[in-house]
Amino acid sequence: MNCERMKDLLADYLAGELDEKTLAEAQGHLAGCAACRGELESLSAIWTKLGVLPKEQPSDALRSRFYDMLEAYKENLAKGGIAARPLHSISLWLSRLMPRRPAYQLALAFGLIIAGLGSGYFLNVRSRSNARFEVATLKQEVDEMRRTVAVSLLKQASPSERLMGVSWSSRIDQPGGEIITALLETLDHDSNVNVRLAAVDALYLFYGHREVKDGLVRSLAGQTSPLVQLALIDLLVGIRERRAAEALEGLIQDHKLNPKVKKRAELGLVQLS
Amino acid sequence: MKTIVRLAGSIILFWAVGMAGSAQQNQTDHAVVSFTNPAKPGTVEVDVREGSITVRGYEGKDVIIDARWRERVLIGEKREMEAALAGAEEELDQEELARKKAQAEKSRGMKMLAVESMGLTVEEEDNVIQVRVEEGKRAVDLIIQVPFSTSLQLSCRDDERGVTVERVNGEIEVDTSDGPIVLTGVSGPVVADSSDGEIKVVFGKITPGKPMSLSAMDGDIDITLPLDVKASLKLKTDEGQIFTDFDVQLTPSQQKKEEDERKDGGGYRVTYEKVTLGLINGGGTEIQLTTYEGNIYIRKAK
Repeated sequence: MNCERMKDLLADYLAGELDEKTLAEAQGHLAGCAACRGELESLSAIWTKLGVLPKEQPSDALRSRFYDMLEAYKENLAKGGIAARPLHSISLWLSRLMPRRPAYQLALAFGLIIAGLGSGYFLNVRSRSNARFEVATLKQEVDEMRRTVAVSLLKQASPSERLMGVSWSSRIDQPGGEIITALLETLDHDSNVNVRLAAVDALYLFYGHREVKDGLVRSLAGQTSPLVQLALIDLLVGIRERRAAEALEGLIQDHKLNPKVKKRAELGLVQLS
Repeated sequence: MKTIVRLAGSIILFWAVGMAGSAQQNQTDHAVVSFTNPAKPGTVEVDVREGSITVRGYEGKDVIIDARWRERVLIGEKREMEAALAGAEEELDQEELARKKAQAEKSRGMKMLAVESMGLTVEEEDNVIQVRVEEGKRAVDLIIQVPFSTSLQLSCRDDERGVTVERVNGEIEVDTSDGPIVLTGVSGPVVADSSDGEIKVVFGKITPGKPMSLSAMDGDIDITLPLDVKASLKLKTDEGQIFTDFDVQLTPSQQKKEEDERKDGGGYRVTYEKVTLGLINGGGTEIQLTTYEGNIYIRKAK
């Protein structure tokens, strides 16, 4: 046995936890090594001093304080549970979407998330009643953030990013004029058929808004892609927009119209009347 | 930095005259253009009215463009001329018709010398290379080699040979009116549309997160995805059918709309859009496939 090993074993030696073989080896080493003996003595002195310290007994006051705290915590948990869940799911939702975005467009969005989450937690801790109000505010802020992100994505050069913009728009609860204008703009002027098709689907979710119906009726005449024309006709007939009849008649007059679209438009006219 | 390469100048003039008529069959133009910043992935935009586009990824930094001019004069124009000579098309302008007829009469028994510029323009600015072919000239088959990570924006109208892309990892945007779209060994987000042609895409892997969308009016859509792909499919077809060998988990359509107009004296209606939502391996990258008449095939990579 060397000194290195002996130092590792000193504590166990003092506590009497060494097995017989190791104990014999250790004693053999200690007999021949003054340095290790010195070490053992000083360590043993510390142990003895520690041994005479009185044991701390918890007072009765501590016990009752602990149980009070536990009760309060349980109560809080039961009441706060409802409010905590939506917060949790929103942040989950955010974390699922965030890492995929290009850094620039999202700088603003990130700011909003941090502000939203930060103030959300802060108020939640402060009081329960405030938390519920704060979740509503947070929802609004998330909506606002989606609006900002959607509008900025819709202006990107990459069609895939514009598709993402349309997809973000369709997740907004309260679209507001800005989003509806942006989606109608996309439907009318986007250079890519796929993006325009996606815009039709997204606008379908907001057809309750008057300007959406107006925009859809107006847009029909300007579309050149048969697939977009079909999607628009289906949508307008589906929501029974009677003002679409005139636009459909105009479309049927166009001699360059795809025959399949013409058939669908004629059928649509019958369904609307 | 702006580089403009105007091709087919005097060289072709001498060449064409020297080789006489036989040269016209395999007349080619060749150009090598580099990006302003080769370290950053660039973009190549090609717009061809009549002709085909083939793009291949290769281990280089420059973009190499080969243009093979077809022997015949513009297909469309020829068609028009034939129609004019047959005196059939009432849609054509009468004056134009008469002029074309007279021209055809004058050139009888002679052959055309292709001495003018073919009208190919290649332009580079800010890592974007634009390749354009002037309309009203001859049809062309473009073969372009690009670095693997290049993004593509390809547009091809009025031609039956369509667009072919091989081994390119950037974002790809393609539209054709008549020709097929065939993409092989691609990974980036693909957004493609064809009116009359079919779309076939074989993905090597999928860049996660970026939505894709393919749409075809009359043709089929046929995509091959990696085995372990995580995808959320949105499938929409009017008259076509959908086939797959993936284990697709169909979810109820989100496009359900309930309408209650009973308060206002109307009826109550629940409508479903003709959209099918399907998840592969739990869902992930959004892929929308839309056809009117064509079928949709979603295949597992072999």
